[in-house]
Amino acid sequence: MEREIIKIGLPRALLYYRYRVLWRTFFQELGMETVVSSPTDRAILEQGTALAIDEACLSLKIYLGHVAALIGQCDYILVPRVSNFGRHRAMCTRFESTPDLVRNVFRNSGQKFLSYEVDQEMKKAGEEDAFVELGKSLGCTAKEAKKAYKAAKKAELGHHKERVQRYEQQYKKEGMKVLIAAHSYVAEDPYMGRMVSDYLKKAGVIPVRADMVDREAALKHSRELSPTCKWEVNREILGGIAMHKGDVDGIILLSAFPCGPDAMVNELITRRVKGVPMLNLVLDSQSGTAGVETRLESFIDIIRFQEGKL
Amino acid sequence: MAEVKKKSVSFPRYAEYSCAFNYIVERALGCRYVMPPALTKRTMELGTKYSPDFVCTPFKTILGSMIEALEAGADTLLMTHGLCRLGYYGELLEQILRDLGYQFDFINLSDYDMSKKKEYLRILRRFDPKVNYARFLVQFMEGLRMVEYVDEVTCEYYKNCGFDATDGQYKRAYQDFLTAMYTAQNRGDVEAGYRAAKRSLQSIPLDKPRRPLRVGIVGEFYTAMDAFSNLEVEQKLADMGVEVHRWMNVTNQFLRYGSGQKNLRVKIQDLSIYDMGPTSTANIWYARECAERGYDGLIHIKSAACTPEIDVMPVLQNISADYKIPVLYLTYDAQTSDVGLMTRLEAFYDMIDMRKKVL
Repeated sequence: MEREIIKIGLPRALLYYRYRVLWRTFFQELGMETVVSSPTDRAILEQGTALAIDEACLSLKIYLGHVAALIGQCDYILVPRVSNFGRHRAMCTRFESTPDLVRNVFRNSGQKFLSYEVDQEMKKAGEEDAFVELGKSLGCTAKEAKKAYKAAKKAELGHHKERVQRYEQQYKKEGMKVLIAAHSYVAEDPYMGRMVSDYLKKAGVIPVRADMVDREAALKHSRELSPTCKWEVNREILGGIAMHKGDVDGIILLSAFPCGPDAMVNELITRRVKGVPMLNLVLDSQSGTAGVETRLESFIDIIRFQEGKL
Repeated sequence: MAEVKKKSVSFPRYAEYSCAFNYIVERALGCRYVMPPALTKRTMELGTKYSPDFVCTPFKTILGSMIEALEAGADTLLMTHGLCRLGYYGELLEQILRDLGYQFDFINLSDYDMSKKKEYLRILRRFDPKVNYARFLVQFMEGLRMVEYVDEVTCEYYKNCGFDATDGQYKRAYQDFLTAMYTAQNRGDVEAGYRAAKRSLQSIPLDKPRRPLRVGIVGEFYTAMDAFSNLEVEQKLADMGVEVHRWMNVTNQFLRYGSGQKNLRVKIQDLSIYDMGPTSTANIWYARECAERGYDGLIHIKSAACTPEIDVMPVLQNISADYKIPVLYLTYDAQTSDVGLMTRLEAFYDMIDMRKKVL
């Protein structure tokens, strides 16, 4: 008897932007299908906002909208718990709560959810252990799951390396370069950071990304700016800034309202990184882009003015 | 050679635990303790002025309290580590204070790997290079005993103080107990103060109905416990004639259960599979416990932008729906007026009182 192909839903928000290659390859290797929700649009944002607690961050609101869009479209929706990768390598507590949060918000939908747990510090559960458990919960053997994880991790690292190389090329180009310091799910979401990078390109500025650097090197360099920063992604961003602040004309600290880690780390960056024009831009669910564009325009003007080009 | 000057250590004001910090710093660490002035409107104004906008409110309170401690003569500040944003408080607080021009020694526990026992010794030597570990341990345990007494007596106080049949003896007995703890010089003082408090709280006549209104408090570890930060919500409720119950305190969260609250999670498996944040398991467990015991209402307390507590709210909403128990969600920012809170509490009280009479 042929086993029916299991369909896994991947909400296109939060960790998707970090782990899309890992997730897709892992499930593919195990002979499963993945469906990804479509890019953020007004309807997704509105539905997510309606489902979320008012005070939750914009990123979570968008995430819940994506989960809602996948309800009934697949056998399982993947909502992992990623707590930390070790000491001072934590994720925001929101990534600890998402699986239970989503289950509670959608408890009457009949939808099944799938989780894995990465918690090195408290439970000694690294990413590989987590994926082996995940594979086993889907009826695969530990060996199959391990093999699939290895292949998936290789693909993920390869993909990241390729992107880093592409961004490294950007630094060599002629013209004004602005470093965007943001979580990947903020930088790449059409309703958040994408409008910033699109506007910069239109204005003839080359946008580069602080988190698009070799992750290990970035973790080391992050210590130069903040010795006790405890968040993995913020440390990658800090490292990226430490490594590249001399190569760019300005830095945009881009965060979603009210991002917990960014609220503190960005304050520290503005206090410790000197000599580069910096814009602290906090995005909430706005219905137009005019406000953001005005701020970007004046920021570019300030850089040009300082460089004597205006 | 002149005698090495004792450090003047301070730790931000936090609920009624400052008496225990005082005891531990003076007795166990052999330093001078600088008690930060009681939290006031000025503390909040100072803290808010120099803090980033959307950091959680306790950061602002603590920054204000640290500035006041430095003004009061502290030369060494201690900051704890933590599982949420609290773990990053230290570095940012220090940077802000240094940028303001203050000079001090800063002992930040986030600098140390607290899973290693050796690190504890390194920290102790920061306070006193010649620290006597055996003496430290004995005195430290006595300080923790004080924490347990404070929690136990506070718990009893808020349960009953709304039903005091005298002209305020119950409240005075509690104040006397706190005074005894803040002034205790040795173990004998601590034990005597505790016993006197237990005796007087039990001897004061109460006028309590057979089925009083009972309200459970859950929420964020700082704001739910610090009376100044939550605008004395427990006292206000109690004064309306309500039994106020709160499980969350240092004794229950740290001394009894530590970080592995495995046995609390057993009963909430259907609501939450994992830890959703540092205090989620305890809060969800206690909320359900209150609901199952037939309490009349729950109050969820958090500071603005507290991520872990925002994430617990959908679970509380489900408990509320399943057990038909009303929940009042309170978010505190750096307010200085409690009129708004009073209005909401009165409405909540009227509602649960009416329900009790009808049901």
